[in-house]
Parts: sequence; structure tokens; C-alpha cells
Amino acid sequence: MNPILLLMGLLVLAYIGSFVVGERRIRGFGLPSGSEYLALGFLLGPGAFGLLDRTTLGLFDPVLHVALGWIALVIGLGFGVHRRRKTKSQHLLLGAVLSIVTGAAVAGPLWLAVTAWTDLRGDARLLLVAGTALACSETTRESVRWVTERYGAKGPLSSLVSDVARSDDVVPLCLLALCFTSGVTARLPCPMNAATWTFATLGVGVLFGGTAALIIGRDLRTDETWGTLLGISVLCTGVTARLGLSSVSAMFAMGLAIAIFSGQRQSLLAMTEPTERTVLHPVLLLAGARIDLHGASAVPLLILVVLLCRTASKGLIGLVWQAASSHARTAGPLLGLGLLSAGTLSMTVGLTYALRFPGVVGDTVLTLAAASTLFGEFVGPFALRASLRAAGEVQDPAPSPGGA
Amino acid sequence: MSHDAHATPPGILQRLIQLLALGVISAVLYFATRAAPGSGGNLGTIASVGFVVLAGTLTSELVGIIKLPHLTGYLLAGIIAGPHVVALIDERSVHDLTAINSLALSLIALEGGAHLKLETLKRGVRSLAWASLFQSVVVLVCMTGIFVALRNYIPFARALGTTALLGTALLWGSLAITRSPSATLGILAETRAEGPVMTSTLSLVMTSDVVVVVLLAVVMVFARPMIDPGATFSFGDLSDLGHDLLGSVALGTTLGLFLAAYVRFVKAQLLLVLLAIGFGMSALVSYIRFDSLLAFMVAGFVVQNLSSQGEAFILAIEETGSIVFIIFFATAGADLDIPLLRQLWPIALALSVTRAAVTWGASHLSGKVAKDLPNVRKWGWAGLVSQAGLALGVASMIERTFPQLGSGFRALAVATVALNEMLGPVLFKLALDRAGETSHAPRPTLTSLDLP
Repeated sequence: MNPILLLMGLLVLAYIGSFVVGERRIRGFGLPSGSEYLALGFLLGPGAFGLLDRTTLGLFDPVLHVALGWIALVIGLGFGVHRRRKTKSQHLLLGAVLSIVTGAAVAGPLWLAVTAWTDLRGDARLLLVAGTALACSETTRESVRWVTERYGAKGPLSSLVSDVARSDDVVPLCLLALCFTSGVTARLPCPMNAATWTFATLGVGVLFGGTAALIIGRDLRTDETWGTLLGISVLCTGVTARLGLSSVSAMFAMGLAIAIFSGQRQSLLAMTEPTERTVLHPVLLLAGARIDLHGASAVPLLILVVLLCRTASKGLIGLVWQAASSHARTAGPLLGLGLLSAGTLSMTVGLTYALRFPGVVGDTVLTLAAASTLFGEFVGPFALRASLRAAGEVQDPAPSPGGA
Repeated sequence: MSHDAHATPPGILQRLIQLLALGVISAVLYFATRAAPGSGGNLGTIASVGFVVLAGTLTSELVGIIKLPHLTGYLLAGIIAGPHVVALIDERSVHDLTAINSLALSLIALEGGAHLKLETLKRGVRSLAWASLFQSVVVLVCMTGIFVALRNYIPFARALGTTALLGTALLWGSLAITRSPSATLGILAETRAEGPVMTSTLSLVMTSDVVVVVLLAVVMVFARPMIDPGATFSFGDLSDLGHDLLGSVALGTTLGLFLAAYVRFVKAQLLLVLLAIGFGMSALVSYIRFDSLLAFMVAGFVVQNLSSQGEAFILAIEETGSIVFIIFFATAGADLDIPLLRQLWPIALALSVTRAAVTWGASHLSGKVAKDLPNVRKWGWAGLVSQAGLALGVASMIERTFPQLGSGFRALAVATVALNEMLGPVLFKLALDRAGETSHAPRPTLTSLDLP
């Protein structure tokens, strides 16, 4: 396909995406995690009908790098706040712990499965398992938001779920920096170990974020601020990717640093948040198009293992949550499954892996992330709605006056 | 959300911070290019885009201290970071970045057309007609003569015979009448100037595109047999040109009607629509070989004059284009061939200065004949000095059409355009400031307009 036509298609998708989140509210059409774009991309890509070939897709790699970085920046800018309200530190901690638990629950069995059913060993196996665990560790905030806004959920449990879903991104985004240290391209006079490179990745983000905060200053001038934000984002993405570091991690750190140092977090969020879905839909389409199941015989088995482990771990988390929290006690057994939704972060991790580690490792992580997103799409929102209804936080629609 | 109205002008501390930030980002990029020299490619281009946007924004703020236009800041940032000075941006990245030119030029032409109000044009049609005539004919004739007079100082012209020299000089003369719509609109966007100098300059620069295309085609018909003795006169090109121009106007009108309807009835996400049009329509227009600048200019003109959406449309383009223009001008700066300029600067400077002088003279004459306002007579020439992409495009086309001239013609054109590109915007901003047309009112935003 002609790259210009593909670009036009992506712009149209971005256009549609911008309408879906018009006026900063999800209007109730489109799937919560945007999986329809993922599926559409898969159908168009070389894995299905082949309308998009790998060469054409490769032309859009730079755009993907920038788009993924931008998504991470927006996540960083909004981390720890929800609608002008600071997230409680306990909720932040809970989100981080839940993502670690889920990631670990996926990583262990997947390690065994990869060892048993593939030839991958050493660094490749470690990278694949770590990447998949990170991609599967989240509960996507879009889906939770979709449920709470569409059904008007209100109450302590929906608020807590919402906070957790917004807080669990920090672990995978930071640990991604560690995974990427295995492929650092920078040559320094004094070699650095993985931990130092991880801190360097996040440090670059903080340095750029601090610089951006200084430039933005106390008076937010919209034109200059857009120039500063876009410029420094693309620069940070380009520099870290060039060094072989995780640009997504650096951008998350940058967003967080800008939010902390600039004192303009709410204004910046108002500027940038509406762009997230506009960027996300084309990304999902390109991610879907990169999935190719041909010649990967073990992948269906790995998908099965990942989905089973993720479902089991989330189910277990739900049970523990019910036992520990009075608000969750009446939510019913589906609460854990309500946390199964994956999306923005999973696909960001999967795609950034596919870009950084092209070949079996990157492609498999992307495929597993996509499978997790699709499965979560069909289970998570409905389970969450049922749980919130059982907890009394979603009101059943009033019967119509003339109804039976 | 807009905080602009409450923003205070940057103080000394803010300027120091901007300088410090520029240092920090330059240092980080310098480290990255040295630590991973072999892994540039697409990733190097990404970093370069970010750097030119940020460095362009910061440098434009810093040169504002000495009243230089933002555009000069963008160019300076590009020149300094480019492959010939500090080399933070390599040649491949510069080449990749030029892909944004089609988008930038389409936005520039759309905006330029949208600034042309029929009412204003009608009032100034006499002045515009005289100015076009003088600025085209006088500049063409004089610069042809000057080129011939300076032939001993022009390396590639020394070996040419008299007829070939005259043909080449005619080509140089036609190159000299090209202006820079991008520089004009860049200064307009920054100063938000309103007044007779701005209006007359803008209308002349935008319409000069058509004049240049026609005049160049005519000159080529005559120059071809003069430079290449084996060639004969052929008016076939002129017929094709007529079709292209008519087609461009028709396409531009259709696009303009669509845009007017969109701004009137939908309005949302103009940024994405403009991006799609900028990339998609540019590719289409280039494929069917129409004049993209003319087509987009007509589209902008239609939106302004056949709908009530002109102001909103201009603001939408400015908001969309602000980043694109930074990349466009900074890339132009990085693309400047500094070693070539160093080599050819004496003759390039002579040609540049004489062109400015001839432009001033032609402006003075046309102003007298058309009885222009004093300010237009005094400052109307300043906006016509800038040259940029259009001139370089014409030079490349001449190089391709007349391989006998070698690369010398284009090299000299690049060096001369480089000087005009740097000097022109400074002169134009100075002229607008002195003519009292620069606006000091807060910048409006799309959200501040009461759109239907």
C-alpha cells in the first residue's frame, strides 16, 4: 500500500478517535480499549489479508516511536492525580503491588512454557518473559473509566478501582528501562551496569522534564508551551532510542517531572489528555498490522498460558480484595475479573518491544500483549460492571412508566 | 484554555533559563550523537525533529531581545545545529526533514490565499498591477544586465559565449523575481501586522507565484536555443502551462469550497483535516503535475472570500502550522550550504545587494506611477527581498533543464538565496515596525473567537 494512503488512513483514525473522546467524556461508542483498531490492523496486515506489507509498516516506525513516547508522557503527567484530586499514597502503593503480583504470576509459568515449547534460551528467553509480564501487569484505566462513566458508577469501590488502574503503570514503565539495558548501543569510556543504565534512562527523562518545566515557567503561553512540549518529547524519544534505552520509560519520567516541577500540571493535562486517544488509535492499528502468527507454532500455547495465569491472578486478587476491604465485600466473585482489562500500557509495552527487539522476542511479546488486550476487552468491562452493580455503585435503570 | 492574555513578557531570568535550556538540550544531543554514532538513521531524525522544534523556539525567543524576527531564530538554530557547523543534525536527518516541506508549503499557500481579501485587492488592484509589472520586468531586465556585467567574477559564466551568457543571464533574471511566501507569512504570523505595507506586500508576493511560473516558462522558451545551439524554439510548454494553471485554479476552488463548508458546519479537529490535506493533496497535486502553491492559494482565497470563516481558518492554520513552520525554517537553515557560501560569498553578496537595490528602485517607480501611500513607497520593497524554497526549486529545475551549465548556476543561486533568506525577514520586520503596522494586541486563539 502507498505510504501516503496509509498516512491518510491513520489521520482519519486519529480524527475518529478525537470524536470518541469529545468534550473529555467517553460517549459510549467504541470498545473500551480500542481493540477494534487492533483487530482491523491485524486484518489489514501481512498476518491476514496483506494489504499492508512489512516494508510499508517499517516506514512508520519513527512515527510509532514518537506516538508511544507521547502516550507515556501523558501517563506521566497524569500519574497520581485523577480529576484534580490527588491519589492517596496507599492507593498508589496498592496499584504498584497489584501490577507486580500480576506480572510475577504471568512470568513464572511463562518461563516454564517458553522453556518447554520454544528454543529460546538465555537473554532472549529472559527478555520475552519479562516483556510479557510487564505488558500483562496492568488494568487499563480507559476500560475502568468507560464503565464508571457509561454506567454512572459512583462510590468508594469504583473510586478505588479507578485509582488502582491509574496507579499500576509505574512499575511496568520503570522496569521496562531495565529490560532495555540489554541492548544499549551507546559506547562509553567507562562501561555501566544494567542498574546504572536504568537510572540513567529515568534520569534523562527527569533532566528533560526539569528543563521543560523551567522553560514553561510560571506563565503558560500556549503556543510556546506546545512547541516546548512537542520539541522536548520528540527529542527525548529520539535521544533515548538512539542510545538503545527505553524511550517510553524516559518519557514517563519526563511527564512526571514536568508535573512535579512546573506547577502547571492541570493546565498541561487539559492540553495533552485529549490527544491521547487521537494518538492511540493509529498506534493500535499499526500494532495490529505488525502481528503475524505465521510460523510461530508455540505462540497459541503461550497465549493460553498467559491468559490463564492472568485470569487466575486477577481472580485471586479479587478474592483477597474482597476479604480485606469492606467496600469490596459485596462486589461478588467477578471483581477480580473486572481488573482483567488491558490496553494502552499493554500495547505500548508490546509495541515498544517489537520496535526495539525485532524478531521472535519482539513479535511474540506484541502478540501476547494484543491477546491479553483482546481477552480483557470482552471480559473486564462486563465483570467490572457486574461487580459495581453488586456493590450498589451502579444503579439499575428505572423502569419505564408504561412498562410491564 | 489560554493563559496567553495574562502572560507577562519574559524577563532577564526567563531569558537566562532559555539560554541554559538551549545549552542542556544541545549538550545531551551532542553526547548522544557521539556516544552512539552509528545508530542514527530514523532515530537520529526523530531526535533532530525534536531538537529543531525546541532549539528553534528558544532561539527565536532569544533573538527577540535584539528585535530580530522569530524566523531568523529558526534559521539560526538550524544553521548552527546543521551538518556544516556543530553537526548535531546530520545530512541524512536534514534530508528526511525536508519531507515536511510539502505540508509546510501547502499551509503557507492556504494561509497566504486566506489573507487576500477581495475587497482589499479591489481597492489596491491598480497598485498591485503596477507593482507586479515593475517588480517583474524591471528586476528581470536589470538583474540580467547585472549578471552579464559581473560575468568575470562568476566562475561558471567566464567560459560561456555571448549568446549562452545572455541566455543564462535571462534565467538568472527570472530567478531574481521569485519571492518567498513562507518568509512573508512567517513575519505576518509573528507581527500580526495590519496596514497598507503588509497588504501590498502580501498580495504581491502571493500573486508573484503565478507571474514567476508564466515568466519563467516564457524565458525558458527563449533561453533554451541560446544556451543549447541544437535546440529550437517551441511554444508547446506554454500550452501545457495554461492547462496546469487552469487545472490548479479549478482544483483549488473545489478544495476551498470543501474547506469553507467544513469550517462552517463541522469545525472540529481542523488540525487533523489540515494535516491530511497538506500531505494528501500535496501528493495528489504533485502526481497530476499541477502547481500546488497556486492550488492551495486559491483554496485559501475561496475560504476567505466565499464564506464567513476566513478569520477562523487563518487562526486554525496558524495553530497547526506554528510547529511545522519552525521545522521548515530550521531545516532550511540546516540545509544551507555554508562551505559553498564561504566560497562564493563575494559574488553572492554583490548579486544579493544589487537585487535588493533594484527591487527598491522598482518599488519606488511603481509607487510613483500608482500613487501609493507614502509608507508603501518607503517600505513596500522590504518584504520582497526574501527568497527561499521557491527560488531554490526554480534553480534546481534550471540545473536539470540545462545540464550544460553544470552545478555552477545552482550553487550560485543557493549562496545568493541563503543571503536573501537571512537578510530578507529582518528587513521586512524592520519595515513593518517602522511603518507602525506591527500589532501589539494579545494573540487571539480559536477558542476566543465567537464561531458560528
